[in-house]
Amino acid sequence: MRSLRHARILPSLGMLVVVFAMNVALQPDLITRASLSSNVATFAPTVLVSAAQAIIVLMGELDLSVGAGVSMLNCALSTLPELAGWGLVPTLAATFGIALAAGATNGALVAYLGLPSLIVTFATSAIWFGVALAFRPQPGGSIDPALNELYAASIAGVPIALILILIAIGLWSILQRHPLGRQLLAVGGNPTAAFHAGIDVRWVKFRGHCIAWCFVYLGSLAISAQTLSGDSRLGLPYTLTSVAAVVIGGISLAGGRGSVWGAAFGAIALGLVANVIYFAGIPSIYQEFFKGIVICIALSFTFILGRRTIE
Amino acid sequence: MSAALRTGGVLLALSVILMVLGNFVTPGFLSFTQVSTQLKISAFLGLFALCQTFVLLAGGEGVDLSVGAIGSLGGIVGAALLQGKDSALLAVAALMGTAGAAVGTISGLGVALLGVPPLVMTLAIASIVNGGLIIFESIAQPPIAASPFLAQLAGRATWGAPNIVLLWIVVGLAALWFLSATAWGRKIRSTGANARVALLSGTHITLVKVSVYAISGLVAALSGFCLIGYVGAAFLGLGDAYVLPSIVVAVIGGMSLAGGRGSYVGVAAAAILITVLTSLLATIQIGEAGRQIIFGCILIGFLLLNRRLERAA
Repeated sequence: MRSLRHARILPSLGMLVVVFAMNVALQPDLITRASLSSNVATFAPTVLVSAAQAIIVLMGELDLSVGAGVSMLNCALSTLPELAGWGLVPTLAATFGIALAAGATNGALVAYLGLPSLIVTFATSAIWFGVALAFRPQPGGSIDPALNELYAASIAGVPIALILILIAIGLWSILQRHPLGRQLLAVGGNPTAAFHAGIDVRWVKFRGHCIAWCFVYLGSLAISAQTLSGDSRLGLPYTLTSVAAVVIGGISLAGGRGSVWGAAFGAIALGLVANVIYFAGIPSIYQEFFKGIVICIALSFTFILGRRTIE
Repeated sequence: MSAALRTGGVLLALSVILMVLGNFVTPGFLSFTQVSTQLKISAFLGLFALCQTFVLLAGGEGVDLSVGAIGSLGGIVGAALLQGKDSALLAVAALMGTAGAAVGTISGLGVALLGVPPLVMTLAIASIVNGGLIIFESIAQPPIAASPFLAQLAGRATWGAPNIVLLWIVVGLAALWFLSATAWGRKIRSTGANARVALLSGTHITLVKVSVYAISGLVAALSGFCLIGYVGAAFLGLGDAYVLPSIVVAVIGGMSLAGGRGSYVGVAAAAILITVLTSLLATIQIGEAGRQIIFGCILIGFLLLNRRLERAA
């Protein structure tokens, strides 16, 4: 079981190594401290949101509302201080509450009402986007600069952004050894078998969504700490990026197979691809096209290699 | 079929109720010009939802996220080749249809042969097509205007009915006939209902699956081609706004995400319903935020209603 799980990560890890090597070749000063930590700071939001998507996909569902969710939380962070006169800590707490409520709403609709996640999260993404617009119809506002200082700081030489990523992966590692983590995989792999094994499938899925939205919250904090203002469209691209990262990371869309590690590798690899395109001096008009090609190559590796190792 | 007719009937009745309600909120909502505008917008949404109808029907978690990119392809490259004139209209339309079908075939091969999930395959293809279009637009800087015929097709009416709506009806009826009366259409449905049984009873399911993505690409490219007549000019991202709504419309119209069930009758009715709902929300003075929230809530309501109808049937 363990070797199988590792086998699914291999293609994304390989891709990460290749893209990283290309990046270093094109931009030799990448492996300096400053450059690495600024890259980590840039990638952290994508990694965290992809980790959230990974947990949902592992349960055999999909969440198209994470991007609008990031926007909603970002707009809440930038609006609540002036709206309610709150300081940073109450604002962070209230925003965390909003994230949990959003995750619980998605979880209830998918798990308890049994609605198809593909469509229902499209519907909730309209709602989150609407709430983001209600908080902040025009981009603007400001977030306490302390958040930025905190995000740029480092503890014992390790940047906070990297610590956030490590926390996400660490939480997943703990979860994997915890009954709930195993139940998440079981529910995604075969819900009927999980049900017959006495697992409360709906309760597991509901909690899975809530946990995933804790990561969406962290992702939104990471991006907000960098922009320090509110924008209702800020998060929207994260939806498709997180799905791409999850797929490159070797997580089966059918659920039950893969790990958050893969999604993290996939997200970082996607970020490095953008770097490579930039530093290779490829005109910006080619970027989208090359990104598509790279995703396709990664996909074919994942599927051809993944098949061989499993069969 | 009767279940499909009932779903379609309920959804159409809801659209009429919404239009009547809309007339109270905004007088003139029920006027002839307003209704025919609504139907024109529905026609494009309905055509893109037809792509999803085919793909969803063949099962295997089929959805096509590349309809927007292929629609943009049909519009942008089509406009570039037409150069604002009608002289080569049919040839260009045929070429665009072929190009769309070819792109769809690539997605279909990835799905059916490599076993890539449709969602991912079509998403990857969409990003390549969109990327290619960005390069084409920036380097070639092609003409983007629609030709006079396309403008007439989307803008004018024959005996009171907008031309594009007539075209939609013809295409819709042809699709209904194809899916219910031809052998290939029935194979698509049986593959979606149970691929194993279909395979054992001699259906070439790989070919069936590739064919639905090819048909989806064909319809998407031609819809995008017609869309430039309505919008007036082609632009990058022309078809993007139709990707997720087309899936939503197909599902609300009674297509099962598991495949094998549903009919285009319900999907067409759902296209009208969602269009009326969107424009009704646009006329109410509540601002974008409120509109988005109401839209999302109503969508969830429809999903619940849809499940009730399905259970009753």
